[in-house]
Amino acid sequence: MAGHSATEEKLDHLQHHFIDSDQQFEASKMGMWIFLVTEILFFGGLFVAYIVYRAWYPDLYLLASEQLDTFWGAVNTFVLIGSSLTVAMAIRSAQLNQIKGLIINLWITIGLACVFMVIKYFEYAEKFAKGILPGSYYSYEGVAHEKANIFFSIYYMMTGLHGVHVIIGIGLMLWLVYKAKKKVFHSGYYTPVEITGLYWHLVDIIWIFLFPLLYLID
Amino acid sequence: MSGHHISSAKFLWGVGITLFMLTILTVAVTWIHIPSPWNVVVAIAIAVVKALIVSAFFMNLYWESKFNVLLFVMSAAFFLLMIGITLLDTLYRNDPIPSF
Amino acid sequence: MATNEEIKNRKRIQVRRFVPEEFPEKHYLNEEKGLWAWLTTVDHKKIGLMYLASIAFFFFIAGVLALLLRTELLTPARSFMDADVYNQVFTLHGAIMIFFFLVPSVPAVLGNFVLPLQLGAKDVAFPRLNLASFYIYVIGALFTFYAIASGGVDTGWTFYTPYSATTGGNVMAMTFGIFILGFSSILTGINFMVTIHKMRSPGITWSKLPLNLWGLYATSIIQILATPVLAITLLLLTMERLLGIGIFDPAMGGDPVLYQHFFWFYSHPAVYIMIVPGFGIISEVISSFSRKTIFGYWAIALSSLAIAFIGFLVWGHHMFTAGQSSLANMVFSFLTFLVGIPTGIKIFNWLATMYKGSIDMKTPMIYAMVFLFLFTIGGFTGIMLGALSVDIHLHDTYYVVAHFHYVMMGGMVMAFLAGLHYWWPKMFGKMYSEFWARISAALLFVGFNMTFLPQFVMGSQGMPRRYFNYIDQFQPFHQFSTLGAYIMGVAFVLMFGYLLHSLLKGERAKANPWGSRALEWQTTSPAPLHNFEHTPVIVNGPYDYHKPMSEFQLGIANSHNGHHHHEEVSAKRTETEQA
Repeated sequence: MAGHSATEEKLDHLQHHFIDSDQQFEASKMGMWIFLVTEILFFGGLFVAYIVYRAWYPDLYLLASEQLDTFWGAVNTFVLIGSSLTVAMAIRSAQLNQIKGLIINLWITIGLACVFMVIKYFEYAEKFAKGILPGSYYSYEGVAHEKANIFFSIYYMMTGLHGVHVIIGIGLMLWLVYKAKKKVFHSGYYTPVEITGLYWHLVDIIWIFLFPLLYLID
Repeated sequence: MSGHHISSAKFLWGVGITLFMLTILTVAVTWIHIPSPWNVVVAIAIAVVKALIVSAFFMNLYWESKFNVLLFVMSAAFFLLMIGITLLDTLYRNDPIPSF
Repeated sequence: MATNEEIKNRKRIQVRRFVPEEFPEKHYLNEEKGLWAWLTTVDHKKIGLMYLASIAFFFFIAGVLALLLRTELLTPARSFMDADVYNQVFTLHGAIMIFFFLVPSVPAVLGNFVLPLQLGAKDVAFPRLNLASFYIYVIGALFTFYAIASGGVDTGWTFYTPYSATTGGNVMAMTFGIFILGFSSILTGINFMVTIHKMRSPGITWSKLPLNLWGLYATSIIQILATPVLAITLLLLTMERLLGIGIFDPAMGGDPVLYQHFFWFYSHPAVYIMIVPGFGIISEVISSFSRKTIFGYWAIALSSLAIAFIGFLVWGHHMFTAGQSSLANMVFSFLTFLVGIPTGIKIFNWLATMYKGSIDMKTPMIYAMVFLFLFTIGGFTGIMLGALSVDIHLHDTYYVVAHFHYVMMGGMVMAFLAGLHYWWPKMFGKMYSEFWARISAALLFVGFNMTFLPQFVMGSQGMPRRYFNYIDQFQPFHQFSTLGAYIMGVAFVLMFGYLLHSLLKGERAKANPWGSRALEWQTTSPAPLHNFEHTPVIVNGPYDYHKPMSEFQLGIANSHNGHHHHEEVSAKRTETEQA
C-alpha cells in the first residue's frame, strides 16, 4: 500500500463506490481470478471428454495424433510462451510508468498472437484439404480406426475454443493499446493491463496442456 | 497483501527461458519412447510444472493474496473431481462392481 | 492476529448514532427520473427491481403453462391439446421455471437488492457488469422466445441426447439462449463474491456477516464452478446438431451418458443455486420475527458451504437408470445421503432459534413456516429417491415430480416469497395488506399440498412423468391435483392484486417496520441512492436482539458518505484490516 504518491494526484479512474485505488485494484483482480476459475472449468468439460475417450480408445489417439504436426505445435507453444513473457513485460512497464514500453510490449504480444493464429490457420487448412473435417463431414481414409472422427471432433473443439480465446485476447490488447495511447494508464492505475494479462496467461496455460495432450502422443 | 509486485526484467526473461527449455524437454522425451502409461505421466507432469511456473511468476500468484491462490487450487480440484467421478462410471461400464 | 506494529498503526474512529429518517423525500426511486435513467442505471437496487419485473413475467408465463398442463391432464386421453403440443408445453414450463425464474430469482432479485445494503456498501463491486448481466439475461430470453416461435422444443428441460440432437423444433436457439443466460449467472456470482470479500463496512467481520450473505456466498461459489460446465455442455450439444461431432452419439463412438454427466455436473449443483439463497432468507426472517439471536450461527453458515460442496459430488443420482456403471451408482447413492446432514443441521437450528422466541406471525414468517414444512417433506422424499433400490421403482415417475416441486416450489418459491414480503417495505417504502397476504399464503399452502401430495401416491403406484395419457385409475388423483393448481393460481392472482395495491395506494412504510437489527433496516425506506447517508460501523452481530437498537445505528461521525473523502478513507481501511 506504500509508495502511492502518484495515486493521490490522479484519481480519475476511481469509481465512486470504492474507498481507494487499492480496494478497486484488489477487487478487479479478484474478479478476474474468479472469472479464470470459470474458464478453467469451461475447458475442463472438454478435457473430461478427452480423457474419457482416450481411456476408451487408446489406439485411436496414437494413430490420429500422427496427423498433427509436432513441429508446428511446438512452434506455437514457443510463440504463446513468448507472448506471455511480453505481456508480463507490458505489465512491468505500466507499473514503472513507462507508457512507451507498455505500448511496444503490447504490440509484440498482439503480433505473436497473430502468428499463432496464422500457424493455426495453415494447420486447419492442411487438414481440411485432406478431408479431416469435424463430425459428420469427416471423410479422411488415412486413419485406420473406425472412430477416428471422435479424436478430431475433440481436437477441433479444444483448439477452436482456444483459438476463439486468442482472438478475444487480441481484441482486448488492441483496446489496451488504444487506451494506453490516450494516456489512461500510469503506475497508479493499470488494472485493465493487469487483468488482461492474467487472462492471456491462462490462455497460455491451456495451450501448455493442449500441446502434449494432442500433439505429443507417440 | 502485495498486489503490486514488480518483477525485474531479468527475472521475467529467466522464467520465459525456463519455460522454453521445458517445452524442448517435453518434445525431447517423446524421442526416447517411454512405455505406455508413463509417457502420459511425464508429459502431464511437465505441463503441470510449466503451468505452475506461469501462474506463480507470470500471474504473480507467488506474491498474491492467499484467497486468489485458493481460487486457482479450487478450480483444479473441482476439475479433478469432475473427471475422477466420471471415470468411476466410464471405466467400469461393463464390469460388475469390482471386488464384489 | 494483529502484530504489535499493526496495533500501533490502528486509527481510532469517532462513531455516532445515525437514526434513519422516516418517510424520506428523496430516495433511490425518485432521485433519477425517466425510463432511460432506469434502463441505464448501475444502481444495484434498481437492477434488482428490473430483475424482479422480468422474473415475475417469466413466472407468470411458466405458471400459465403449468395450468395448461394440469388442465390437459383432467382426462386420461386428449382433453384439448395434442400430444406434441403437450411435450412442448412441459418442456417450456420446466426450462423457463428453472433457467429464467428459479436460478436468477433470489440471487439476482433479492440478492442484488439487499447484498450491498447488508454490507453497508454503496453498490456491488462491479456495477456496470451488474447491468450487463441483466441485459445478457434479456438477450438470452429473446433467443428463447425465438426458439418458441420458430418450432418450439420438446426435449424436456434436460435436453438429453441423442433425442435432442435429432428432434425437430429449434433446440439450438433454446440452448443458445440458456448458454447466454449462463453468463448472466456467472457475472452475478463474480460480483457477489468480490463484493462480499472487498466491500464490507468497518466492523463487519466474517462472523458478523448476515446469514443471507453466507447463503449468497455459497450460491456464488456454485454459480462460478458449475455454470461453465453447462456452457460447454450446451456448446457441445449445439455442435452435435450443427456438425454432428459425435461426442454424444453412440453411432460414431460417442457416449450419450457422458452428456448426462456433463449436464448434471451443472444441474445438480444448480438445484442448490436455487435453494441455498433461500436458506439465507429463512435465517434472516426466522431470527427477525422470533426476536432472538440465531441459534448456531456458524453451523448455519458453514452448512451452506457444505451443501455447496457436497452438491458437486452427487450428480449421478439423476442417472441411476441411465446405464452408468454399478460402481458409480453405489458411490453416488452413498454420497447423496450426505446432503441430508447439513440440511438437517439447518432445520434444527431454525427450530431452535424459534424456541422461546417471541414469535410474530407476520406474512414473511408465515412463508418461512410454510417453507419449513414443505421443504422438509421435499428433503425426506429426496433421501428416499437417493436409495438405489427405491429409485429403480420410482425413477421418472410422478413421485420425482412431486419431490422436486416440494423442494423447488415448496422450498425455493416460498423462501422467495418470504424474502419478497420481508424486504418489500425497503424496496418500495410501502406496506402491503397483512390480511390479504395471509389469505393468499393460506390458499397457496392448501393449493400446493392438494397439487403435489396426490402426485406422491400416483408416482409410487407407477404413473410415469411427462406422459400425455394415463390409465383410468389415476384420474381422481390427477383431477384433485389440477384443482389444487387452480387454487394456487387464484392465490398468485390475489398476491399480484394486493402487491399492486400496495405500490399504488399502500400505507407508507417506516424505516424499520419489523424492528429488525439487521443493517439493511438501519437506513431509510426506500433507501437513498447510495444506500446510507453515513458510513455504517458495526459492533454487534446482525442477530443480537439482546442489545439495544442504538448500537446498531452507528456510523463514522463527522463524515458524509461522499466521494473520496481522504480522512474517512484511511480510518475505514484501518478498521477493515483490524477485522
